[in-house]
Amino acid sequence: MNRFFKPLYGLLLGGTLLGSYGCTNYLDEVNRSNFTQSSYFTSASQAQSAVDGLYASLRMFTADNGYGERPWVTLELINGHATTLGQSFFNSQFINQTADAANPPFRTIWQSSYNAVGSANLAIQRIPAISMDEALKKNLLGQAYFMRAFFYYHLVRLYGDVPLILDPIDASSTQLYPTRSPQADVYALIVNDLKQAEQAGLPVTDQTGRVSTGAVKSLLSSVYLTMAGYPLQKTENYALAAAKAKEVIDLNVYPLFTSYDYLHDNAHKNQGELILQAQYSSAIATNSISAQIIPYFARVSVYGDEYGSLIPTEGFYNTYESGDLRAQERQFYFTSYPSITDTTRTVQFGVHALYKYFHKESALNRNVNSDQNWTLLRMPEVMLTYAEASNEASGPTATAYAQINAIRSRAKLPALTGLTKDQFREAIWKERYHELAYENKAYFDTQRTRKVYDVRNNRMVDAIGFTNESGTTFTEKYLLWGLPQYEINNNRALTQNPGW
Amino acid sequence: MKNNYWKPGILSGAVGVSVAHIWAAWALAGTTLAGPRELPAGRTPSSTTTIGAPTLRTDSGPVERVAVTVTGQITDETGSGLPGASVVIKGTTNGTTTDANGSYSLSLPTGNETLVISYIGYLSQEIPAGGRSRIDVKLVSDSKALNEVVVVGYGTQKRSDLTGSVGSVKSAELLDRPAINIEQSLQGRIAGVNVAINSGRPGGNSNIRIRGYSSINATNNPLYVVDGIIWAAGIDALNPADIENIDVLKDASATAIYGTRGANGVILVTTKRGRKGGTISYDTYVSSATLARKRDVLNAREFLALEDQAYQNVAKFDPAGWAAGRYANRDPRIKRTALIGKLFDANLNPLYDVDWQNEITRNAISQNHNLSFTGGGDQTTFGLFLNYNDNQGIIRNTYLKRYTGRLVMDSQLKPWVKVGATLNYSNSDERRGDEGVGGNNIPRMMIEMIPIVPIRYPDGTYGKRQDYPDMESGDNPVALSNEDKRLYKKQVFGANAYADFTLMPGLNFRTTLGANLASQYNPFSETNLVQLTRPFRGYAEIWSYDTKFLQWQNYLTYNKQINANNSLNVVAGVELQKYTYLQWFSGVESLPDNYYEYYNLGVSGNPLPPSSSYNAYQMASYFARANYNYRDKILLTATGRFDGSSRFGENNKFAFFPSAAVAWRLSQEEFLKGSTVISDLKIRASYGLTGNSEINSYQSQANLSTNVSVIGGTRAPGTVIGTLANPNLRWEKTAQYDLGVSMSMLKGRIGIDADVYLKQTRDLLLSAPVPLSSGYASIYKNIGSMENRGLELSLNTVNIDNQTVSWSTNFNISFLRNRVTALGDANDDIFPNPYFLNNTNILRVGESVGSFYGLVRTGTWGSNEVDEATRYGRRPGDLKFQDLNNDGQINDQDRAITGKGIPTGYGTLSNTVRVKGFDLTLDLQYSYGNDILNLTHHSALDRTGQANSYGDVLNGWTPENQNTMIAQARPSYVYYDSKIDSYKVEDGSFLRGRNLVLGYTLPSELVQRWKLSRLRAYVSAQNFFVLTKYSGYDPEVSTYGDAFAQGIQFFDYPKSRVFTAGLNISL
Repeated sequence: MNRFFKPLYGLLLGGTLLGSYGCTNYLDEVNRSNFTQSSYFTSASQAQSAVDGLYASLRMFTADNGYGERPWVTLELINGHATTLGQSFFNSQFINQTADAANPPFRTIWQSSYNAVGSANLAIQRIPAISMDEALKKNLLGQAYFMRAFFYYHLVRLYGDVPLILDPIDASSTQLYPTRSPQADVYALIVNDLKQAEQAGLPVTDQTGRVSTGAVKSLLSSVYLTMAGYPLQKTENYALAAAKAKEVIDLNVYPLFTSYDYLHDNAHKNQGELILQAQYSSAIATNSISAQIIPYFARVSVYGDEYGSLIPTEGFYNTYESGDLRAQERQFYFTSYPSITDTTRTVQFGVHALYKYFHKESALNRNVNSDQNWTLLRMPEVMLTYAEASNEASGPTATAYAQINAIRSRAKLPALTGLTKDQFREAIWKERYHELAYENKAYFDTQRTRKVYDVRNNRMVDAIGFTNESGTTFTEKYLLWGLPQYEINNNRALTQNPGW
Repeated sequence: MKNNYWKPGILSGAVGVSVAHIWAAWALAGTTLAGPRELPAGRTPSSTTTIGAPTLRTDSGPVERVAVTVTGQITDETGSGLPGASVVIKGTTNGTTTDANGSYSLSLPTGNETLVISYIGYLSQEIPAGGRSRIDVKLVSDSKALNEVVVVGYGTQKRSDLTGSVGSVKSAELLDRPAINIEQSLQGRIAGVNVAINSGRPGGNSNIRIRGYSSINATNNPLYVVDGIIWAAGIDALNPADIENIDVLKDASATAIYGTRGANGVILVTTKRGRKGGTISYDTYVSSATLARKRDVLNAREFLALEDQAYQNVAKFDPAGWAAGRYANRDPRIKRTALIGKLFDANLNPLYDVDWQNEITRNAISQNHNLSFTGGGDQTTFGLFLNYNDNQGIIRNTYLKRYTGRLVMDSQLKPWVKVGATLNYSNSDERRGDEGVGGNNIPRMMIEMIPIVPIRYPDGTYGKRQDYPDMESGDNPVALSNEDKRLYKKQVFGANAYADFTLMPGLNFRTTLGANLASQYNPFSETNLVQLTRPFRGYAEIWSYDTKFLQWQNYLTYNKQINANNSLNVVAGVELQKYTYLQWFSGVESLPDNYYEYYNLGVSGNPLPPSSSYNAYQMASYFARANYNYRDKILLTATGRFDGSSRFGENNKFAFFPSAAVAWRLSQEEFLKGSTVISDLKIRASYGLTGNSEINSYQSQANLSTNVSVIGGTRAPGTVIGTLANPNLRWEKTAQYDLGVSMSMLKGRIGIDADVYLKQTRDLLLSAPVPLSSGYASIYKNIGSMENRGLELSLNTVNIDNQTVSWSTNFNISFLRNRVTALGDANDDIFPNPYFLNNTNILRVGESVGSFYGLVRTGTWGSNEVDEATRYGRRPGDLKFQDLNNDGQINDQDRAITGKGIPTGYGTLSNTVRVKGFDLTLDLQYSYGNDILNLTHHSALDRTGQANSYGDVLNGWTPENQNTMIAQARPSYVYYDSKIDSYKVEDGSFLRGRNLVLGYTLPSELVQRWKLSRLRAYVSAQNFFVLTKYSGYDPEVSTYGDAFAQGIQFFDYPKSRVFTAGLNISL
């Protein structure tokens, strides 16, 4: 009978084997493509990679939200001095101020920012325990602190009170369903994080696209300036903003470019006056900024689509003083360009499109995706921050005049002189509009000053109730974005902003 | 007794198994438990006669000396000889079985006896010999025959013993219509099994749902098991002609033996095995396919006229811009004047008027060849099955070519051990043209390409849509079909080997090792002659995939006839599964020369980043099943499976899935036993729990993910947060209740099978949204529940049955109602993919899955509604939506459920008539209550001036035509309205003429002269009509692969009408 029972033994053996497998490691999961949180953060190179990953989130402004819809476009359209061509329904909702909280860019910025915050929180929590070179560790942590501050700074300005998450989240965290924290608390964290970054031993400047001490100080001056205005109105921060901006000026490492072309070519990325940019590189990360600003299917580039999603209003263009170099053809703007299909012919746009973002390297070359950088911080903003903040703190000073006049001088405009504090303030605000045009600064200026630019009468006026050149009246609702409808739906602990 | 347990005499003496059972089990041996032993013993099928086992010995042994010898041939309805049929003298155990040609020779004591002829799956016949020396008998198939053997997973059962709901299809039916894969073969065969063939692309794009939906984020696809081994490599690698039968397990009592993988039903495929003797068969067909239905689009004259009209309307939609001259340079006359000589003549009339649907489609000729060899002796049989299928698509240059080879061998090595193996190799080579939904998608471009541009200019260059200003990118479809090469090349190797040991009478041990290996690469190359949205021209990439699935099962089967009234069948075993998957990619842009295609990626100076990814899972399981039979009246089944999966959280690796079923055969009770009307009546009831583990691996872990930053102009790999861990992740469980009745009347002339079921899924695996402030978007959680209620009915009748004429009818209908009963902690709506402009569909408690969600379009604003329209920011001529919450604005708060993609009822009606050698089959398919979300309205109806449009735009709003659902024409640069709305929802109910076949089988006497045993020729037409209100190509459609995307359409590969001519030859 023996032979018949052998298979039985086999079965029993198999069963036993299976049983032991089941109990030990046969059912373990090993993900060979990715680490888990618990298996990571063991070496300097892993710390480096965790910090490098944060830079990818800076690309959120150019994220594709639909046909011609990008967060950087949205920010300009809300402010009222731009229109859009083409078919985008969501874009038109911002121009007309008829948007609702389900609008895609609201979610994009919220989601990208908090995703970066989540990764920064993990890096900040876990890098300190790694055994590695202490100077490098401090440097990496400094970059992580900067990033967390940068994203919270955008969140708090765009959405007001926001959840303040400072630790890694897991399924059991109470912070999985957080409430909104007061803006003052968020700003306190931002200032604190930037101070940490300032002390992290980062290089003064960096031409690879990393955060530098100059970038930290520049952002901090902007934070102080914002805190001094609406809604916190901590006016004592004007002096802090001025002081921090002055530190950047005194570094003397961000010379103004001698040609506006350098703002949108590849050779000058991260150079000169450019303090911090979101980085793009062909075949690694590309953007469509250049295709977005070409009038709808003008056929002056090789881009498959020319969206015309961000077109300045003629009313705004007309506010440039006569002789302003920036308003000359192919400086900040252009109205025509040779046809890509028939180079003997010039395409007339009929509008002033943004030459500032026209990326020749890719627009004219079949084989290059647009990889122009998106500028986050550049020197003229810091100079104007200094001028404005010091004016608020102590009235016009020679140093303040020097800042604004350096910008005007480059634009071939006469120097300003002899203005009252109020006149000087208004001159700086207008200069911000003209120099930093369509660089996503104007909407934040509207938020902190509650003023908008009345381009028909060339003056700054109260934002709320003002009807702009497109016929849209600015309402209080648009001082903040709506919290993304998705987020409201998924977290009952949240409240929505007024009007949304 | 020492080493010879398998003695037919002993076996038959002990348990009385019919020849038919033995034969059938033998034929099915690949998946079954090694022949006869697992057959539930001790019962005599009511419609067959039991014969003594010694008559099995057809090869040797003494033959009684008798007075009369009768010979003849037993054939099926088509005249093909049935090998192995039993011919028995009524009232005795004397008889014989037919040889490979279906011929027999039998000695009769007097010549006046009655012969009982039976064969598994056919209605038995009793023929008085009446002194004749030759008796040929044609058997009529009885697909629901009670003595049919059904594969039930780790074993087989007689249909009469089933307690669960199992539907079956046999090879003869599968061959009725040409099909390149099992999904196509299975369509409409079994009540409760909904096969939607959602595309006209060669090979399909099918979607199978058994008894509705049981999951939200895990799969709703059934489990395929081929010859006992889970088929993980894509079922289209199997040639339908190689299939002996398909059994579909529907209720939980049947599927519970598959535990965590059984919730969506199990499709058990049994492939053909070798047969004693020698047979060569050759089946072939040639078919011709053409576009079944065309869509009406604007011709050149209409396109230009509409553009003129739209341009004039700019003055209305942007009065300020118009007055300021902002649109002066967009005047169509200016655009056209600039193109005189290229696209227009001197009078601005178009030079070209291309019908792109005609230009890109063709009369596609396909062919199929099956060649099979089977043979063997008493101990060993083998089969070799070869197939070549060249399936050409109706869109130019698309095809699917497949070679398969299959080798099977089974051997009864010793009386106590049987071994066998199967090797299946498949090589498929496919070229598609319907990839994505953008400018490279030929089905889209054949509608949206403008008629005024030629295929090629006189200089040979392709016409492009952007040759005419204001058009969006996207190329002419003929150029795309020539210059875009999108290939899918796949090799699948499936193998299994088994050994089956008889340990003692009634006790068997079987071990099976199965492997399923797939190796696939998908190259894509595009020359620089077409323009993509991708600015890099001259592009090539290769995606490669390698998957391995291994399965090892060991189980014992025990059959015990306890006494005259009680018998027992028990199966118990263990199983291990392991799956690994590796994917890698390389691609380049800017190929220097079109010559290289994807064959030399290194020549490009612009390589794309390579990538690879891996995943794996393992499962370990224990299972057992017991069937108890009391006097053939009461049948009980109990099943349990204890399953462990690596995919679940540390705390929940294992789970137990039990089921139980009872059946009562009323026809065995005294009060029905004598009935001449009811030959069989059985009531079944079952309950069971099954699971679903088909989510991605690693979802219970806190994985990091990688991204790419740019530092210093170069790549800097980043590591960031990835998944929000859920260590408590556990099985999704589906409880199913089934109540069924199976009835056979008038000696099997009428067969009825009806089931009602309730399927409740809880612990739904859901990729549940979490607040984005966490840094994550979702977490895999077990939340939510849903239910499916259904009724399935199949009715088979043999309306006429005599030696010259037979007519049988098969009707089945399935009703399904799905309802989501709980979602998440707060029952919040969930919006599953696809997303198109906005959410397209919704999961909402109380509603069916697959519900469409959007605004309600009520028409267009009229000239007399200026004020009201203005309130909504609209003008007369704009689309009018219902303000459901009356808040004075139209937004996401005004959305409602507008339809559902899954049908209320569906089924098949088919009729087969045989007259002498002729056979005629008419097969109708129907579906009702299903809607279609026709997203093509967005680009081909809601907007104009960027691409060509449907002819329906000519019915747009004008001051004279205000009662319309279509907006006033305007160029898209002054805004248009396009929403996910009710007007895009169309009734998708349909009645389809699926198949019409006329065949003729040559008389066997004639073909035997040619040394053939069978020759049949046939012609058929598939999809020869469709009755539907739906406006698109075909109402059975789905563009997206998402779970609930059935019926959501955005430019599908159109269906064809197919005419086929074929031959079946056996020798």
